[in-house]
Amino acid sequence: MPPSQLKQLKSSLRESGVLGPQQSKKQKRQNAKTGANAHERAQRNAAVQAIRDRFNPFEIKAPGRRVKFDATTRDGSRAELARVRPGVTKSLGEEKRRQTLLKEMNQRNKVGGIVDRRFGENDPTMTPEERAAERYARESQKKLQKESMFNLEDDEEEFQLTHKGQSLAFDDANQDDFEGSDLDMDDDMSDSETPRKRKRVFQEPDGEEDDMEDEEEEKPERKKSKHEVMKEVIAKSKFHKHERQMAKEADDDLREELDKGLPDLFDMLRGTKPPPKPEPPKDDTASMNPERAALLQGKSRAEVEKEYDQRLKQLTFDKRSQPTDRTKTEEEKAAEEAERLKNLEEERVRRMRGEEASESESEESQGEASEDESVPDDAVAFGLQQPDNQPDNQRSSRPEMGVEDEDDFIIDDDLVETRSDVSLSFDESDIEDGMSSAQESEEHEEDDEFINGLTLPESKEGESSAPADKEEKADVLAFTYPCPEDHKSFLETTKDVPVQDLPTVIQRIRALHHPRLHSDNKQKLGRFAAVLIQHVAYMANQPGHPPFAVLENILRHVHSMAKSHPESVSMEYRARLREMATERPLNLIAGDLVILTGIATTFPTSDHFHAIVTPAHLCLARYLGQGALNTLSDFATGAYVASLCLQYQAVSKRYMPEFINYVLNALCNLCPSESGNDLGFFPLRKPEETLRLSTTKPINPKKLQFWDIDGPESHREEEFKLCLISTFLSLLDTASDLWAGKSAYYEIFDPAQKVLQHLHKSCKGKITTSTQDTIQATADKINRHLSQSILARRPLLLHNHRPLAIKTAIPKFEEEFNPDKHYDPNRERAESNRLKKEYKRERKGAIRELRKDAQFIAREQLREKRERDAEYERKYKRLVADVQNEEGREANAYEREKRMRKGKM
Amino acid sequence: MPTRVDGATGSRKRKTPKEAGVPSSKRRAVADNQPEDDAMDEILKLEEQISESRKYYNNIATLISMLNADEPGQEPNLLVAVSLCRVFSRLIAGGNLNDSKRAAENEKIIVAWLKERCQEYQKALVSIMRNADTSSQVTALTLCMRLINERVTHIPSADSEVWSSGLFKGVFEAVVEARDGQVLQSEFVEKFVQPYEDVRYYTFVQVSEYAATERTSETLEILISLLSHCDSAPSTDHKFEAFYIKSSSTNKRLTSVNSHRKRAQDAWLAVLNNNLSQSQRKSLLRIMAHTIEPWFSRPELLMDFLTDSYNVGGATSLLALSGLFYLIREKNLDYPQFYTKLYSLLDSDLLHSKHRSRFFRLMNTFLLSTHLPATLVASFIKRLSRLALNAPPPAIVAIVPFIYNLFRHHPICTFMLHRVIRDQNFQKELEKEGMDDPFDPNEPDPTRTDAIESSLWEIETLQSHYHPNVAAIARVISEQFTKQQYNLEDFLDYTYQGMLQAELGSGEKPLKRIPVVEYQIPKRIFTDRGLEEDGGLDTAPGSFMRALWDFS
Repeated sequence: MPPSQLKQLKSSLRESGVLGPQQSKKQKRQNAKTGANAHERAQRNAAVQAIRDRFNPFEIKAPGRRVKFDATTRDGSRAELARVRPGVTKSLGEEKRRQTLLKEMNQRNKVGGIVDRRFGENDPTMTPEERAAERYARESQKKLQKESMFNLEDDEEEFQLTHKGQSLAFDDANQDDFEGSDLDMDDDMSDSETPRKRKRVFQEPDGEEDDMEDEEEEKPERKKSKHEVMKEVIAKSKFHKHERQMAKEADDDLREELDKGLPDLFDMLRGTKPPPKPEPPKDDTASMNPERAALLQGKSRAEVEKEYDQRLKQLTFDKRSQPTDRTKTEEEKAAEEAERLKNLEEERVRRMRGEEASESESEESQGEASEDESVPDDAVAFGLQQPDNQPDNQRSSRPEMGVEDEDDFIIDDDLVETRSDVSLSFDESDIEDGMSSAQESEEHEEDDEFINGLTLPESKEGESSAPADKEEKADVLAFTYPCPEDHKSFLETTKDVPVQDLPTVIQRIRALHHPRLHSDNKQKLGRFAAVLIQHVAYMANQPGHPPFAVLENILRHVHSMAKSHPESVSMEYRARLREMATERPLNLIAGDLVILTGIATTFPTSDHFHAIVTPAHLCLARYLGQGALNTLSDFATGAYVASLCLQYQAVSKRYMPEFINYVLNALCNLCPSESGNDLGFFPLRKPEETLRLSTTKPINPKKLQFWDIDGPESHREEEFKLCLISTFLSLLDTASDLWAGKSAYYEIFDPAQKVLQHLHKSCKGKITTSTQDTIQATADKINRHLSQSILARRPLLLHNHRPLAIKTAIPKFEEEFNPDKHYDPNRERAESNRLKKEYKRERKGAIRELRKDAQFIAREQLREKRERDAEYERKYKRLVADVQNEEGREANAYEREKRMRKGKM
Repeated sequence: MPTRVDGATGSRKRKTPKEAGVPSSKRRAVADNQPEDDAMDEILKLEEQISESRKYYNNIATLISMLNADEPGQEPNLLVAVSLCRVFSRLIAGGNLNDSKRAAENEKIIVAWLKERCQEYQKALVSIMRNADTSSQVTALTLCMRLINERVTHIPSADSEVWSSGLFKGVFEAVVEARDGQVLQSEFVEKFVQPYEDVRYYTFVQVSEYAATERTSETLEILISLLSHCDSAPSTDHKFEAFYIKSSSTNKRLTSVNSHRKRAQDAWLAVLNNNLSQSQRKSLLRIMAHTIEPWFSRPELLMDFLTDSYNVGGATSLLALSGLFYLIREKNLDYPQFYTKLYSLLDSDLLHSKHRSRFFRLMNTFLLSTHLPATLVASFIKRLSRLALNAPPPAIVAIVPFIYNLFRHHPICTFMLHRVIRDQNFQKELEKEGMDDPFDPNEPDPTRTDAIESSLWEIETLQSHYHPNVAAIARVISEQFTKQQYNLEDFLDYTYQGMLQAELGSGEKPLKRIPVVEYQIPKRIFTDRGLEEDGGLDTAPGSFMRALWDFS
């Protein structure tokens, strides 16, 4: 049987050394001296606490769940943490409730009242002395800080109420009267204010004391406010700076003095004396700053300041203050031009490969591209030629800088050349390019200078006195033309104008409606460009066969306008193409061919995709693939279209099946005899009536003319056939060079080879030897390419792709697995689970708290009721006692009386 | 007999609108002129007399003589024809044309005489149909058919005689051979053949009889259009109800689907075995699947025609292919060398033909089988890619996905896209001599072309096709084959026009991106302008054009 509780306690107390043998007085004194006393007391307290814990089994609660083995759980410390002290938490909660809930409960159903916000009031931890001290400290601190400029009471010195500059303050004598009462008020105010601030601190029960202590400790330092400290520091640093400056100045003076003596020293060293220099008047004023100089000159202070301001302004707005572009050397300009061309070419190659940038990038690149095309383009052209007076054509979007602008180009159409000379083809080396353009610019220099003297509104006059050879025409032509809205009105306008003068008219219209002259002009010119395109097609369709110089000029005008109005020009070209495609896809006419030629020069035909070039390609290919093949004029048109095809592909070298089909087919059809055997995979189409060469006398073929597309005169048909054959031969020749790199070159040109052999054989004796030689030469060339292509051919290796990964199902292994953590791969689900758990926990906690609150309230109410009852009881008892007292006295008095009477009697 | 009575009343009913029509024409005639009015009065009078008494039967002869059907250059008197029709209808309905053995001698004479007149009248009508103007032709046709109706209804024995050898045969031949007979034929088809199933039945009979002998291609054309305008073949549980002659519904032959089909089949066969022109053959092949074949209870009868057509080559073969395929699949037709034949169809014109998509659809079904040898499929792939080198963009657009699908189904063929040479000796040889295409384009047998040893350089070249979309499609063969299959149907129906439309759009929509403009304005486009400044050497863009063409 275990010993009783009391015995256990005694023994444990003895063990822990709380209860020991009595110490002697001497020992006690010694301990107090060394401080071991305090240490011992602390030790004893801890021991007592431990014993207390041990003896109260309800003080510590075991964890709810059994602790698992270490092998299954990682955090061994959890077991310790899980030990709860229900008594402590309970009492803490009770305490907290008493502070908050009880207060509220007492406040309930109560309105108004005075809240005491004085500092330290309701604070049981403070003694009244402390309270008073603290209040005083705060008061003085506040006076120093001056936190608010509107705090009128605190700082009368700084902020005075004034009226018209006169102080509204009373005299000193009067002020004294108020001071006493003011001070009191101050006190109150400050008192009532500070607690409000402190209250916020009070909300957190912990740390409250610490704060207090901190503040108390800081108090002596606070005597000097931060502001003051800063002021001091600033003053100090200023002082030091001043001192340093003084020292430096002294040094400088000394050095100057020495410097002055130096020439003398040199003279002395040399032994000769130079002629005395005429001393500059007021030398030192120049070196001095203007203010001082002015002061020295005896000007008034206001003047000096004014001058100073002026000079300052001059300095700030001086051009020299900005860095300027250095004048570039010739090499730099050439390099820059080369760089520009390189960029443009790179851009073109990128488009050719069809590498369309992504949406956002493309916008950027578009921006860049347009920049490339307008600003740097012009800028560099600008730089290459005479920098100051070289006009050029450009987009209207360019910032308006001066006289140099597009209209100058319009006034003198030769300038188009100068412009295009700047950038010739890429084939030429840059140096050559630069040189030729330089020459060019010199040639045109006089004109340029002349034009540059003109300002914009005078452009008409400039035109009237334009180059001498145009003088006569200019006399006949009007100077102003309306900007035509549509083709009909343009025809109306130019009804009386001879074809040769059309370029001049167009120039004038463009000059007259320059975008800078009126805001609507840009739109007008856009429409005008469209009208010009229509007009080119219209002119080419005229039976009169207008001179190509005019067509060319108009097309170039269109091109230059396309730079500023790409939208309307391309829309019009597309409209032309659409008309072509819907109305006469298989019977192209002269106008269509001119338009297609125009497209070839105006737009980059090498682009992978281009809103105009791609449909134009389709138009050409469709004509070649399906167009009529019945007359010689059809073949002539076909030859022209085929040459256009090659021109379109000159750079990008893309393969056009229709071209090769057409050329071979045409050769087969024009060849004097029909081939017996199969020539290849190209489809053979035959005209309704044979168009074979049947001449017997040999003729030399000539160059085909553009207007031959209308068909030859009847007497020179045979000659014409020969011309066609030679044209097709040279087309085939060019195409074989163009597509020499294709991997299927052999398959493409093998039929061509057969056709040529057949042609050669069947033409024997019917044509001149020179033509025969051409055929042979072409055949040889193709042969050469064929053998080369076979030599270069390798089996295809198109699928060097990384093999696609097979989907794997290996379980995922977690390196640092923690069973308490949730490894949900689905993040959303994990998150929602976490939130659910948290919610549940919070809810439980809230319910528990509420329940405890309710218990607390009930308890409090019960206690109150008991108190009330006890009070009542006490009162009642007192009253009863009183009454009994009274009655007892009366009874005693009665008894006495009775006894007295009795006794009397 | 109730039927007869019904028929009689029916005919009278049908006559009513006609009689209402006569006065209207009379009124028109009145408006025109007086003498004709008199003639009409006379005709009516003669007609009335006939119906009144037998003694006026001679009026019939008078009326027939008034028809002036045979005289060329004179319009047939339609009024007379109509009134004669009424007369004969009445006589037939009245049994006056019936032979009866019990009848008296003089009665027989009258009947015989009437029959003779009737024949005469029928002949006149047929000749009107052959030679007269369109409206008369149509009227004569209607009258003939009415007469047929009356005769079949009221003379039971005349049934087969009238349809097969008698009047209807004449009518049919007249319809087919009529001068300027388009209207007549369409009238015949619309008014009689299409609505009435018995008429259709006998038409089939007539066609098969008529086409048994060699006919000119124009006649055949008419027959084909006639046949193809007949309704679609009846289903097996079809109920025949629409009869021109009410009594036909009791006829067993006319109410059975099989006999109808048999007749139609005979008719078609007779036409198909005649000497067809090439274009007719094509058009027949085109309608083969949905118009002709349904009529055939024994489609194998078409075999000869189809194999003949298949052997013709070119577009005809293409068209015959689907019919042949139907027979192979459904009727177990054994066609030796089918794939060789199919391979031979892949010639230079195939991709330019308008039956391209039809052929591709069929070829897709033929080649998708995974049981085919890879060499054969490889031959087809190679051949198609060869053809693609000379094909228009719409065809290339179809070929590349088709080839892709073949590669997916026959992965062995992908050696044509990716071939690593492991043999060192061969590698060296390749370095030295290059590579000749092992594929033999002239080998007719697709299993011996060595195509599988080759590579698809053609498609690789087409990756730089001028049209960006085509180039992009050609590029799929060099990308990883991640897509299971391309839906061929999406690629088949492209045309130049459609592609242009897609590029250009139909209206004036603003462009999404402003097109890039060539940054340098060329110095010259057509002329030699300013050439001497460049030292006489034209190197600017477009110099090729200027060298080749003389712009002046």
